[in-house]
Amino acid sequence: MTDSIVKILNNAGVYGWEINDEKTNGWEFYFIRHELDQHRVRNVEHINVKVYQMTDDGQSIGFASEEIAPTATEQEIEKLVSDLAYRATLVKNRPFTLTPPSEVKATEGKASDIADISADFIRAMSELPETEGEDVNSYEIFVSDVSHRLITSTGIDETEHYPSSMIEVVVNARRDGHEIELYRNYKSGTCDAAGLGRDLIKTMGYGKDRLLTEPTPVNGKCDVLFSGSDACEIYQYFVDRMGAAMIYRKMSDYEIDKPICGAFNGDKVTVKALRELANSSENHAFDGEGAVIRDTTLIEDGVAKQFVGGRMFACYLGLTDSFAPTNIEVTGGSRSEAELRAGKYLEVVEFSDFQVDSMTGDIFGEIRLAYLHDGDKTIPVSGGSISGSMNDFVGNMLMSEKSAQYDSMKIPALTLLRGVTVTGAEK
Amino acid sequence: MKAPFSEYLQSIKPGLKEMISLLGQDYDYVSVLATDSHGLAVRISQRSRSVSGETMTTERGIVVRVCQNGQYAEYAFNRFDPASPEKMANELRGALEAQLVMLRLAGVKSYNTPVLPDDKQTLFVEKETQQLPETADVKALVEKLGEISDRGMTLNEHAIECIVSAQSTHICKMFLTAQRDLCQSYVYSEGAIFMIVNREGNTQAAYESVSGLCGPELFDRLEGKIDKAAQTAAELLDAERIEPGEYEIIASPEVTGLIAHEAFGHGVEMDMFVKNRALGAEYIGKRVGSDKCTMHEGALCAEDVTSYAFDDEGTLAGDVIEIDRGILKTGICDALSALRLGVAPTGNGKRENFEHKVYTRMTNTMFDSGEDSLEDMIASIKHGYLLEGMESGMEDPKHWGIQCIIKMGREIKDGRFTGKVVAPIIMTGYVPDLLGGISMLSPHREVFGSGGCGKGYKEWVKVADGGPYLKTKARLG
Repeated sequence: MTDSIVKILNNAGVYGWEINDEKTNGWEFYFIRHELDQHRVRNVEHINVKVYQMTDDGQSIGFASEEIAPTATEQEIEKLVSDLAYRATLVKNRPFTLTPPSEVKATEGKASDIADISADFIRAMSELPETEGEDVNSYEIFVSDVSHRLITSTGIDETEHYPSSMIEVVVNARRDGHEIELYRNYKSGTCDAAGLGRDLIKTMGYGKDRLLTEPTPVNGKCDVLFSGSDACEIYQYFVDRMGAAMIYRKMSDYEIDKPICGAFNGDKVTVKALRELANSSENHAFDGEGAVIRDTTLIEDGVAKQFVGGRMFACYLGLTDSFAPTNIEVTGGSRSEAELRAGKYLEVVEFSDFQVDSMTGDIFGEIRLAYLHDGDKTIPVSGGSISGSMNDFVGNMLMSEKSAQYDSMKIPALTLLRGVTVTGAEK
Repeated sequence: MKAPFSEYLQSIKPGLKEMISLLGQDYDYVSVLATDSHGLAVRISQRSRSVSGETMTTERGIVVRVCQNGQYAEYAFNRFDPASPEKMANELRGALEAQLVMLRLAGVKSYNTPVLPDDKQTLFVEKETQQLPETADVKALVEKLGEISDRGMTLNEHAIECIVSAQSTHICKMFLTAQRDLCQSYVYSEGAIFMIVNREGNTQAAYESVSGLCGPELFDRLEGKIDKAAQTAAELLDAERIEPGEYEIIASPEVTGLIAHEAFGHGVEMDMFVKNRALGAEYIGKRVGSDKCTMHEGALCAEDVTSYAFDDEGTLAGDVIEIDRGILKTGICDALSALRLGVAPTGNGKRENFEHKVYTRMTNTMFDSGEDSLEDMIASIKHGYLLEGMESGMEDPKHWGIQCIIKMGREIKDGRFTGKVVAPIIMTGYVPDLLGGISMLSPHREVFGSGGCGKGYKEWVKVADGGPYLKTKARLG
């Protein structure tokens, strides 16, 4: 199928083209408690074609894209390509060049054993030490073997196989007739049974504590400690602001070789894009436009070093060897856990939905479970929210030396934002 | 004109029926959902322009649901040869059996469910539209959106970008069983303007949208939204942070819709009742809001982006009164959950696309209107805020917590606007407190369908929600 599309594209008289052909064999299992609600198989192929058209004077380039169904006839493909070729002439962008082939070749990899990976997840869930007070409500397991081929008019033709997994787990905790739930969603390459078990045991502990909470008492400023995956949102803020699209659109004011904030009174982040992270679901050799993914330092000790991003905006900024990053590693923490856990602070371990707006810097999150620490005293609290702006936090945030990995992000295990606005829940 | 039903789906229907018949020899229940939905997406800004045939809901594929000995399973694929239905039937049997072998080895127990009913039914619906995305004048649309973007840049001296997007999707779906033959075709569209401004490092974005059960003709309405977007962006640049606390609020229709969606939209999705994941199950027939609070949910209760004729399990669209004058009456339900709970399905079984499982999902979720004028509502407030612009929301159906991220609030003191604007705002609280505090509702009611909705952090579907201006109390931060 892909070969016939290539043939039609080559005869269409267009400036350039890309084909992303992704085949997925996926197994899914849905459990209520530990009983199988449904099982599903996905056997699908998605072929996405993008066509580029340059104006005769070379002053502008346009592009149009569409998915071509694997059941499309040759006549249908010809019609779609013809439509794309026309539509691409309608949108005029500043000119840029398409990604050239690289001498670095992707390792094709091999098909993953999705039956084995699925069995690992099911076994890991069945071995959880549930109690009368804390147990698993339901879970959904998704395991896929993905084969991705990218072909372009510039001569790129790469194929890679990789596993991709996800498990969603709902944990219940109950006490004196009252029951609450905690939600978890883990992505990975294959099943990390030990890590999954460890985190779910910790989650059941949080569930127990949530039933003992008092309304969040603070109304005002407080230091807030992040000790879980929500901190990924904080570090994604830096990655987004180093992105070529945000820089070119002037939505980020970061400048190369300049500090990312006025003055540092805390730790300085170092942010790297990595080609591989152990068991990440995002271990790819090249991005969707064929650019090779390389280990690259984006921010070093709080100073912007290298913008990255897709081909169009990267070209506009004059970046060479750019790519859309997949795995991210953040370091720069100088503090021990004991140092970060000194004094009075709020450790929020369960949010409704913690968000960081990369453009405005605003942060938000309703508190479902937090621990208000003050010296030796710790009170579990819930309700209310935290809010503020990364613009105020970047210069004085503190990070642990020790790191933790959440799928495609390896970040400091503990992150302390100082002077966060806390809206309490007391009447 | 009628939105024409897919010729492709018509062409594979005989093959699919034959496959259903073959699979019926081995399984107690067999259904097929086949989809063929095409679209158009144009995105124009000052710095990049693109055209695509893909939207959130474009797809072509098939999913077969089977039941054997009380165990439900599905096979999703997008390669089907209507001349060889036996080949696909064998492939399906082999793939599902391979899973069962692994499950047996793992000692997994089945959650036993009765067989879905399969009463005889035929339906062929082609809804009205003026235009189709497949044949829209893309050149004219690109020019129109470009003009809107250019004009936006002239309306605010601090504008750094004005992104204008337009998407239209022609949905075609076919649901088949041994007894049922349902076909539907309709077009929905949505457009948006993102006005981005920056002053001395302070970046803000304002958002205005349009949506409807119609074709690309909808985009004529975008032009009328640009002034509001520019004005809001300017106000956001001067906005202050709110002093955290509990306030009297007036929710604008968009924020009212967000409250409806998060409060008793997710809270009464009855697949959550099956898993004992929703507190709502214990509150049917009980008070959850004030006498002023009445809420509807269903594909039939508004005409917008998700107003279909039947859902992804072949259940006809409905209109359910979830809350009637403060009393929780019922929830919404997909067909399998209904079977397990012993209730009737409500037409809310939806998939992200043919590859995804069905869950109970919202369609149009709406507060009923009242008789209070907006002026009276403002005049009644001692110190509070008129909340405008919705960003996102999250619910906790088991604990009835709610989080709503809202673009901005206009301060009201002693019944008058002070001119002070606060932004952004996180509204949190306990759902019965929020709904219990509803004291005034305006006669004016609007529907908003430009957003998507996830279940947890996945399974994205189109939804619409809305209502009137609504006065209550809430905790703002």
